[in-house]
Amino acid sequence: MKFLIAVGSKKYSEPTLRVGMQVAKAFGASVTILYVGPKVSAFSSSQVRLARESMDRWEIEHPGVEVLEWAFNFLAENNYITPKMIEAGFQKNTLVTTRGDRCELFLQGAVCEDVNLILRNGDIIPELRDEVAKGKYNVTIIGGSKKRRMAHDLVQYINSSIFIVKEFNHEIGYRLLMATDDSTGTKKAVKFGARVSQAFDMPIDILTVSKKSFFGSGYREASKKASTLIRRAGIDGEVQLKVGDPVDVIVESAGQDHIIVMGASTANPVKKFFIGSKPLKVMSDCECPILIVK
Amino acid sequence: MKPLFILKNPFGFLSCHIKCNFPTRMLRILNQYTTNLIYGITRSRWLVAAFLIGFILFLLPSPEGLTVDGYRTIIIIIVALILIITEPIPLPGIALLIIILQVYFGIADANHVAHSFMNDAVFFIMGSLMLAVAIVQQGWDARIALGIIRLTGNSTLKISIGFIVISAVMSSFIGEHTVAAMMLPIGMTLIRYTSDDKTKVKNLAALLLFSIAYGSLIGSIGTPSGGGRNAIMMVYWKEFGLAPISYGKWMLMVYPLVLLQLPLLTWILWKSFVPEYLMLDSGIRKLKVQVARSGMIQPQQYFAVFLFFLVFLGWIFYSETVGLGIIALTGVVMYLVTGLAKWEEMSKHVNWGVVILFGATISLGTMVNETGAAQWIAGQVLNFAGEFVSSIPVFTDLIIVLMTTTLANILSSSATVAVLAPITLNLPGDSIHIGLITAIASAFGYFTAVAAPACTIIYASGMIKAKDFLKAGWKVGATSILMVLIYANIFWKLFG
Repeated sequence: MKFLIAVGSKKYSEPTLRVGMQVAKAFGASVTILYVGPKVSAFSSSQVRLARESMDRWEIEHPGVEVLEWAFNFLAENNYITPKMIEAGFQKNTLVTTRGDRCELFLQGAVCEDVNLILRNGDIIPELRDEVAKGKYNVTIIGGSKKRRMAHDLVQYINSSIFIVKEFNHEIGYRLLMATDDSTGTKKAVKFGARVSQAFDMPIDILTVSKKSFFGSGYREASKKASTLIRRAGIDGEVQLKVGDPVDVIVESAGQDHIIVMGASTANPVKKFFIGSKPLKVMSDCECPILIVK
Repeated sequence: MKPLFILKNPFGFLSCHIKCNFPTRMLRILNQYTTNLIYGITRSRWLVAAFLIGFILFLLPSPEGLTVDGYRTIIIIIVALILIITEPIPLPGIALLIIILQVYFGIADANHVAHSFMNDAVFFIMGSLMLAVAIVQQGWDARIALGIIRLTGNSTLKISIGFIVISAVMSSFIGEHTVAAMMLPIGMTLIRYTSDDKTKVKNLAALLLFSIAYGSLIGSIGTPSGGGRNAIMMVYWKEFGLAPISYGKWMLMVYPLVLLQLPLLTWILWKSFVPEYLMLDSGIRKLKVQVARSGMIQPQQYFAVFLFFLVFLGWIFYSETVGLGIIALTGVVMYLVTGLAKWEEMSKHVNWGVVILFGATISLGTMVNETGAAQWIAGQVLNFAGEFVSSIPVFTDLIIVLMTTTLANILSSSATVAVLAPITLNLPGDSIHIGLITAIASAFGYFTAVAAPACTIIYASGMIKAKDFLKAGWKVGATSILMVLIYANIFWKLFG
């Protein structure tokens, strides 16, 4: 499995990196930590390159390298990379430039497979989309954004599961809120959620919400399958069946002490673009981390 | 409770290719294609909008008093401006679109478009970009650093003044992008070795880096070789049959303004970004180490400066005869022949797509003038503000400055002059006066990171935020606008 953790700055991305690495460790996944720097105007790109080469001669690192260095230090402090790597320290000169302005640093992972640090420049969505497409990542982990359009674009256009580490507080004892319904995405989400729960020893609340006062067979079946799976996996949890607007009920039930897990919408992309989808609305409204499994 | 089993690979659970039934599989593939299509459309929304606007305008009749060719040229300008600002397709693509549309719209035949596409201003832009590579790679930045700190000592204020003055003087002759590329490592060394923590040197970084960028921008108006925009104006004066001015006369008319602006810039930057450190002891120590590491000055470094001095003399004495661009290219040839620069390096660092785009915008500017579109737009501007223009002559200058500054901050300074100058040169008044005002105002790219390469270079250092440009930019911009209006209407009148 391959995880991509997108970090922005030292100030805001610490929880994203911490949670992302914990999840990756649980799965023994190969991890890439990506920083996307500001876009450079095409008018001046060659002059900027020239200036950066001057900076190289003066041994001043490119902007963004300090974010990678911070990520390296984080990995070293938490022993996510091998002692040999920690001892060698952050080697700026081993940053390899690949595909234009994309720089890459390879590290040997201690608790998971390889860890790569990548630096790119440009608009966040196209850069992430390109990285995910070329690297074939299973999960993209990113911090919350206040921009509604950004949230939509992440879920809609990034071709991997998305874990948004929103309003994360490491002092809270989180529970997992698994939103189930009769959609095909639910099955995969349940399985992924159960794996996360096992890794973190986190109890699961299985929540099924119906708009009508009764629950159709598909909803009951989904809830039952999920509860069977978590019981067989030895995970503590409870099953809840609630009536109301699914988005409101999920957000309200999640509060601030849950990590929401739900399947991605399988609705028509055109409809999703204009009207939105349940996962998207939940993601916008919730005040806790959310994992949308694709 | 001991788990009965461990879930190992949740993503293998629903591996679509193996376990999904055929309709579900097809639906997923269809959804993926639709998503990609929507993504493509949303990324290209400005391309669609530009074409749609262009198509609607194309269907409408041309306004009264404007020729069909003139109207179509204006449509191309509108489409090109939307595309250049929003960049939904690569810049060279926009350049090629401008060229082919001129032919398809019947504005000019292919040979005429090709002729208008390549002229001395494009040679100059090409030459100055190549010269920048040759100069930057000589390693003179260490010597400049040493020169500055010898004059200024450790005082932050004096270093800021040194940066402003040196950047301004050098950018008058070698272009602001070259100066910014050479000065950036000096500034960054001082900042990084004053404190590792970016947050503790925010103001210091802004002060030093804006000193470089704004100093370079102000200096770049001082001579015709200060930037591509000045060279474009020189070519337009010639091509439109207006009286061009010599290199020396440009300097004589504009350089006092440069000198007047520098103290004001120093004051504004110092007040806008009060530095966290008033003395830069550790930064200066590191800078001295860096200079010492670069060793003695090599004979070829002196020779490189001598060659550039020859280019400078050529601009002063022969630019009227052979053109600024040809002299810049002569300099490039000299660097290549003497082995001081390698073609591979030059070619790698010159963005040929941008050169093509400048060629295309200059071609468009020529068509705007030839088709009468420039006169028509100028006429509309005069109709809009007719009484003000006749009663307050400075008002024409104000209109030019505001139009040029606005466009330069969202487009690019050279492209702004290429498109706007044919229009401003058709406004009533002395063509030299108006041309110089346009060229000067195009350097007022203080508000955004995209307006000028010097601004983009300091922005790309990661030490400056976009909002910092507004914080200091509006003050420098407002002062510059005011100064140019007063200066042009007092000093140039006295100068005759």
